[in-house]
Amino acid sequence: MTRFHGHLTLSLAALALVPALAFAQVPAGYPASYADTIAAAKTEGKVVIYSTTDTAAANFLIKDFQALYPGISVEYNDMNSTEVYNRYIGERAAGGSADVLWSSSMDLQIKLVTDGNAIAYASPEIPGLPAWAVWKNEAFGTTYEPIAIVYNKRLLAGDEVPQSHADLMRVFTTKADKLKGKVTTYDIEKSGVGFMLITQDSQQNPAFWDFVKALGKIGPRFQSSSGTMMERISSGENLLGYNIFSSYAALRAKRDPSIGIVLPKDYTLVMSRVMFASKGAKHPNAAKLWVDYILSKRGQTLIGKEAELGSIRADVEGEMTLAGFTKALGATLKPIPVSGELLGFLDQTKRLEFLKQWQSAIKSGK
Amino acid sequence: MRAVLPRVGVISLTALAVFLPLGLIFYQSLLDAPFFMPHKVSLGAFEFIFAESDFWDALKNSLIIASSMAIIAVPLGGILAFLMVRTDLPGRHWLEPLLLIPVFVSPMVLAFGYVVAAGPVGFYSVWAKDLIGFVPWNVYSLTSIAIIAGLTHVPHVYLYSSSALKSLGSDVEEAARMAGASPLQVAKDVSLPMVTPSLLFSGVLVFFLGFEIFGLPLVLGDPEGHLVLATYLYKLTNKLGIPSYHLMAAVAVCIVAVTFPLVMLQRRLLANAGKFITVKGKAGRQRPLPLGWWRWVAAAILALWLFLTILVPLSGIALRAFVTTWGEGVRLADVLTLEHFRAVFEQPTLMRGIVNTVLIGVIGGALAVACYTAIALSTHRKPDGWTRFVDYLVLVPRAVPGLLAGLAFLWVFLFFPPLAPLRSTVFSVWIAYTVVWLAYGMRLVSSSLLQVGPELEEVARTTGASRGQITRDVTLPLIRFGLLASWLLVFMIFEREYSTAVYLLGPGTEVIGALLVSLWSTGGADLVAALSLINVVLVAIGLGVALRFGVKLHD
Repeated sequence: MTRFHGHLTLSLAALALVPALAFAQVPAGYPASYADTIAAAKTEGKVVIYSTTDTAAANFLIKDFQALYPGISVEYNDMNSTEVYNRYIGERAAGGSADVLWSSSMDLQIKLVTDGNAIAYASPEIPGLPAWAVWKNEAFGTTYEPIAIVYNKRLLAGDEVPQSHADLMRVFTTKADKLKGKVTTYDIEKSGVGFMLITQDSQQNPAFWDFVKALGKIGPRFQSSSGTMMERISSGENLLGYNIFSSYAALRAKRDPSIGIVLPKDYTLVMSRVMFASKGAKHPNAAKLWVDYILSKRGQTLIGKEAELGSIRADVEGEMTLAGFTKALGATLKPIPVSGELLGFLDQTKRLEFLKQWQSAIKSGK
Repeated sequence: MRAVLPRVGVISLTALAVFLPLGLIFYQSLLDAPFFMPHKVSLGAFEFIFAESDFWDALKNSLIIASSMAIIAVPLGGILAFLMVRTDLPGRHWLEPLLLIPVFVSPMVLAFGYVVAAGPVGFYSVWAKDLIGFVPWNVYSLTSIAIIAGLTHVPHVYLYSSSALKSLGSDVEEAARMAGASPLQVAKDVSLPMVTPSLLFSGVLVFFLGFEIFGLPLVLGDPEGHLVLATYLYKLTNKLGIPSYHLMAAVAVCIVAVTFPLVMLQRRLLANAGKFITVKGKAGRQRPLPLGWWRWVAAAILALWLFLTILVPLSGIALRAFVTTWGEGVRLADVLTLEHFRAVFEQPTLMRGIVNTVLIGVIGGALAVACYTAIALSTHRKPDGWTRFVDYLVLVPRAVPGLLAGLAFLWVFLFFPPLAPLRSTVFSVWIAYTVVWLAYGMRLVSSSLLQVGPELEEVARTTGASRGQITRDVTLPLIRFGLLASWLLVFMIFEREYSTAVYLLGPGTEVIGALLVSLWSTGGADLVAALSLINVVLVAIGLGVALRFGVKLHD
């Protein structure tokens, strides 16, 4: 899936001039005092978001949010996860930054939150979320995105397509001739998300280091993003991609018939984009409105159906939702909890140690 | 007295623009965390990178690539110059602009072109496989990267050696030819030795450019994990999971430690070149050397070079921009599309990138030339300490890779409050470009200034004109065509530039070059192809205008 820097200001200021329309209702189930938050947010007039989610996907949400709360414009900036982090800490040190941060790099988001950058906010939507998706009322998981194996449908078929992690090791040995040099995955030194997924694998996969050695033996091609991986898989330069967001793959598969997707049967990691409202935000009330909207059934329905990121609410139905995936895969789904545990591998010594072990396992396979 | 103030002002501003970012890099390299977070002074960053095997691999690869570039580009560039300037090679007048294309096309674009044209399942590779059963090359190997880098830097050598050759008379060569030497012998034993200083100079130039290349190894080195210093630095952005500006700054200092002495060496060589030229014959009378049947050999070499360096990557890009998918088992006729261009035009970010790129080339280019002219005038006919200082000053940014310069400017904009509002405007990119290309721009402007005879300005002075009046009414009008030509050349260079804007990229500062790097790293190949083609077209327009108005592309 393509990713680019985006910046969007959809100003509906004209609507705000009409008082009757500017009177938004307090959503059902919210405390009555929420009307004050809405009023304050309208005075602020705008919310600034730094995000890793494509503008194209986020547009559905932005338009709907502005329809719900006319008079609040959304300044949406999309960039990659390192940029979100670097830009934010740089700007915070120099003065103000965004109101809301929304990133797929779960560990970096948790780091920012533990460093005291988030507003503690008991969103009225919390009861609708799984417990693992809420951390200290500060950081919230917003999507439900299983991690998949992606393959080239033109060139791989039948028992050449692995169905699980154990099965991957099987094809690495039995189909070595065909797959040699044609398996691709994240370069975990370049991609923070890739690193996070692999460290999660190391906790889920009982035969993890054997798996890494087998991967090393097949001559893996490391890329810094899932988009690059899928481009190479689509062209046939690579045949199999490991640890790719199924959300991105599904979107690409829609217009690219070469892309096939497998959710591994033994266990499937699930990641969730983490969102928090920033301390020192210039528009704190608008930020709360945005967070609540994204977590609400209305926002989550769009996330599942239109943005194709996978809804995290159990009460939203459809294929790309927590409910839909649970029906298909059940207990093998392993969501990565939004919690302080993610900080473990941001510790520099631990991180470099893991990288070293990874590299020597990859090399020992060669 | 009135004339002194603006002069000191111009020189101080230039010094500030050059040394502030560079100083920040040095300062940052001596800290153990980003300078805006709690930090201690330490040499930890250097210790860290020196302990990494990746650093030493990158250094070794950079050395290999830089040396092979010099080994490939110097002889080829020299021979090319000889053929174009000295011989009756067929079609050499219309060939000249073609030769310079690699200088004006972004290496990102070229590298991407090589992937889609000659990568494992590239268009040409698939044809080769159909023809002979296997693909006889591998563009991802270190050897290929070195060869491609060498071939794309041939024009740099060509530029310097051809202008040196043009200033030599052809009598010596004719004598050699009459004594029975073949054209190759004439080139090898007579013409090229006479321009040794220029060859040496351009050899050093290509060698240190080799230490700064980023786009080619970023795209071609990724699949097999070949790092060079610049891509190693880029990789460090993420290695620790959190920003490691101190490590990046330390690598930057290492790169500058290599390039800075080379830039100074270049300056010495240039100074010596002037002395060396006294051996030339009486300039002026030049007759092209008849090549005889050698002309076909020469034409074949030239055609092969053009094919490999220009046709292969650019045709790859052009084709990729119009297909949805590519590779093994895909029939091109089934996958043709205009979708990618529609996607580009639908994305406000990308459209702003295109608009900004045009603005930065046209308006930014003009402003940059104005700055360069102000600096050049501040030293014009004033051979004193200030002038010598500026001579060195303008060379300094050459030694700093664009990637770094951009990062340093980001820091300046973040933490120098008066400039903060400009950070998210294209102005921040413009100032970084202007400083990075300072040496290049100054050379363009100074060479026009040198053509103004001192007597014209002296006449004005004897009639009582002030310095300001002389500049305004005599010097500037005399060099206006030279300035226009500089503007066009700077336009093309600004259209092409990519690495400098990488770290400055953000809402409001999008330019095509940096968008390409960003889109490439996240895999938006469809958009990369379409944007690359748009970029090439912009440069081609500049080149077309330049040729139409008879701008000399080099001196």
